[in-house]
Amino acid sequence: MQQNGKSVETDTLNSLVTGAIWRAEQLEAHGIGSAPQAWSEVSSLEEELAKVISVSESEGRIARRGAVRAALKAGEYARAHALAGSYAAEGAAPGSLKAGLRKILEEDARAMERRFRYAAKQHSLREARDLARRFREAGAFGLAA
Amino acid sequence: MDIDLAQLRKMHTRLPADLALVMVGRAALALERNNHESGVRVSLDLEGVASGGLLFWPRADLSKIEQHDRNRITEDGAEAVALALAHRHRAWRVIRRMQPGEYADWLLEDSGGGRRQVVALEVSGIDRGSIVARLAEKLAQVAQSIDVDQRWASVVGFEQPTAALHATKRKKRGN
Repeated sequence: MQQNGKSVETDTLNSLVTGAIWRAEQLEAHGIGSAPQAWSEVSSLEEELAKVISVSESEGRIARRGAVRAALKAGEYARAHALAGSYAAEGAAPGSLKAGLRKILEEDARAMERRFRYAAKQHSLREARDLARRFREAGAFGLAA
Repeated sequence: MDIDLAQLRKMHTRLPADLALVMVGRAALALERNNHESGVRVSLDLEGVASGGLLFWPRADLSKIEQHDRNRITEDGAEAVALALAHRHRAWRVIRRMQPGEYADWLLEDSGGGRRQVVALEVSGIDRGSIVARLAEKLAQVAQSIDVDQRWASVVGFEQPTAALHATKRKKRGN
């Protein structure tokens, strides 16, 4: 069972993530442009929950999947992959969590390829994201170097 | 069984106050646009056992109904009724909302019977017509939820106030 202080922190984070998911869903349903920022907030809160709840607890695994899923909805692909990698590498991570994280990333990749089907014929999603990462890290002139 | 939606936040203390207020407000709109008044008789189907009760809610301002999305009134209103029903029937409390992709809307805790169990609850609302087909659909959906001890679905109908709460057949905990 959790200690009292940790339990209060978890309760607070659970309330915050509940409100954040609800807001993100409402913004998305109305097609409002700030929905990705709302999902980014959800992802950060899920990440905080994942820090305080062990991967051996069901709520810890739900939070880890949630952090990755919401990061993808926020368009934060590199962060989503980094989170998935670190959660899958946890010693106590069960196979079902690793498979779940892989499935979330694969479903997102398939959705992206469907959305940009002509571009996907020329380049794989991995190549496109690698290019985007290099662009972000080095800036426009860095790519020419 | 009597269900008072005004008590929703007291039943589920982890539910943010603003969210509880919106959900209860939308439940009131969903009921009043179907010409019901607080204290209406509600037909309940709890784990396959039919019963009845009275449903109470704080009065809605129907003049502002156009400010709300029609489907959100039904869905959010159903969530208020389902969460209140889950607490009254099984004494469950909300842990958190689930993201789309987890096959359930809410994660609740069942502290009865010694060991704490986590419950996935999928909720849906119907403004007009029967809830039977939707309940089967939602039970099939929540059955896919993993990392929980119990999987339940609740469907709320507003035309003739009705609420069902059913469990899926037992399945091994996915971890």
